[in-house]
Amino acid sequence: MVLVLALGDLHVPHRAADLPAKFKSMLVPGKIQHIICTGNLCIKEVHDYLKSLCPDLHITRGEYDEDARYPETKTLTIGLFKLGLCHGHQVVPWGDLDSLAMLQRQLDVDILVTGHTHQFKAYKHEGGVVINPGSATGAYSSITYDVNPSFVLMDIDGLRVVVYVYELIDGEVKVDKIDFKKTATMHA
Amino acid sequence: MRKKAVRAVPEWLNSPLWSAPPPAPATPDPYGADLSPSSSPPPPPKPPPPPPPTVPPPSYEQAVGSSRRARGEAGWEGEDEDEDSRGAALQAHLLSDFKLALSKKVINMGELRRLACLGVPDGSAGVRPLVWKLLLGYLPTESAFWPHELEKKRSQYSAYKDEFLLNPSEKIRRFEKSKLLRKKELNSEKIGLLPRSIVTNEEHPLSFGKSSLWNQYFQESEILEQIDRDVKRTHPDMPFFSAKTNQESLRRILIIYSKLNSSVRYVQGMNEVLAPLFYVFKNDPDPSNSASAEADTFFCFVELLSGFKDNYCKHLDNSQVGIRSTLSKLSQLLKRHDKELWRHMEITTKVYPQYYAFRWITLLLTMEFTFNVCIHIWDAILGDPEGPPDTLMRICCAMLILVRRRLLAGDFTANIQLLQHYPPTNIDHLLHIANRLRGSVAS
Repeated sequence: MVLVLALGDLHVPHRAADLPAKFKSMLVPGKIQHIICTGNLCIKEVHDYLKSLCPDLHITRGEYDEDARYPETKTLTIGLFKLGLCHGHQVVPWGDLDSLAMLQRQLDVDILVTGHTHQFKAYKHEGGVVINPGSATGAYSSITYDVNPSFVLMDIDGLRVVVYVYELIDGEVKVDKIDFKKTATMHA
Repeated sequence: MRKKAVRAVPEWLNSPLWSAPPPAPATPDPYGADLSPSSSPPPPPKPPPPPPPTVPPPSYEQAVGSSRRARGEAGWEGEDEDEDSRGAALQAHLLSDFKLALSKKVINMGELRRLACLGVPDGSAGVRPLVWKLLLGYLPTESAFWPHELEKKRSQYSAYKDEFLLNPSEKIRRFEKSKLLRKKELNSEKIGLLPRSIVTNEEHPLSFGKSSLWNQYFQESEILEQIDRDVKRTHPDMPFFSAKTNQESLRRILIIYSKLNSSVRYVQGMNEVLAPLFYVFKNDPDPSNSASAEADTFFCFVELLSGFKDNYCKHLDNSQVGIRSTLSKLSQLLKRHDKELWRHMEITTKVYPQYYAFRWITLLLTMEFTFNVCIHIWDAILGDPEGPPDTLMRICCAMLILVRRRLLAGDFTANIQLLQHYPPTNIDHLLHIANRLRGSVAS
């Protein structure tokens, strides 16, 4: 039972001041084992805040990040799953699921986490699953102003992943969940 | 000799026998001829056994004196070969007594308790696990019911394990497995956006809802961590307790206990009380018993702690039944039996029971003596008809009386030092004195 927090595109301080208060009150240290962040934090303070939630933090570089040392892509293994991380502005057309599927095959991962579109998405194709946690602060994107703050918490338990989607809609936190299993048809 | 004034100390207390370290092995006849109630007080220079001032049932006293003295005790160095062979003979005799008592269709508990107070023989005969199970009420007295009872209790323990040891992911998964349609949905997934389902009852990992499994799990994680740490620290010098499987068993027992007893949860030290029980049951020569040692230990642990539970409840600390009142009972007991020592401790040197007896009582003396000695003391604690709490009280009082010379001569620091590192002593003497204090633990 490993809890992995996936979030990104916070754009602090340029487009948003901070995470929504309701999200912040839920995110307490001690519960989460890993954090994967798609990028565009943008400043060090946000990095430090995330580090305080969980020491195991993985970040990839978004186009507005002030720290140039983050890698473009990252892969890590948690339990039986391989996860891939990339901000997504590199993949053109932005948000195109086929192109993302190509990136996934390139990185050779079961679950690819990308951002940039600021819209939550969870999509399954033969190569695996693509998850976009959206923007945790609800910052406007290059594509649209209408963004609901959202992030994703994955519960990896053996061959099964339960993805909890947290969205702030009209001031209330709504939680949905998505279940999927690692099947033989996913990459070997 | 002291004048027989109001504050007189009973004659037997004044004997040089009660000064630590214990004297050289007694040369007089180990079969307790000196213990007959009618014998006169022996001359002071020699260290002979004192006569009992009051006369408890003579056969009990003689039996206690004789078999204990002759038995090889871990705390008593330097025995003759003669003593050894007589000890061995008596051990064998005792063992056969036990086997006889245990072979009956309906066990005579009074008889078993009497024998247990003499000390259960060690060794591969392995009667101790069975004796302890009977003394703690785990097994009924009719031996015909044993298989049925064991079966029932062991399966109940399995049920507890299932209920309490799963983390929330597994629990939710099991719950959903019962809804078969979910399974079909998952498998028919091909390509496309994954379907979202709503989360009911705030059952998500970050929830703070009272009924949320996740919330409860995280709140209990602190206790679980504490249990984990303590289990790893239990008796690090014994290879038995370094074995991962044994540590896992201890861990599971403590976790289930803490979940079933929300009033007391887990308190540091419970692992020490659990250790001897588990050790004895796991080393049962009968393999079927040894395999289910975990389940048996759990129920016996519950039974043993039931008398002491109130000592662990923080909010009962200052009440009539909490640890403070237990400590003051000890004080009163000492006052009743040895006023001089009591006055010296409480008033002159201000060595209150809180400073030394807290550990004695909450850990049932497991940290004051070596492991094997402790198991022998537990034979008496469990076997005594007065029950573990009162017996423990008497033994603690006896521990004080046994070192009274040194205590009376010491100041605050010396006495605390002495009592917190209790010197190795002859357990026979200790239990003998504890016996003397019988019948007076009333509040």
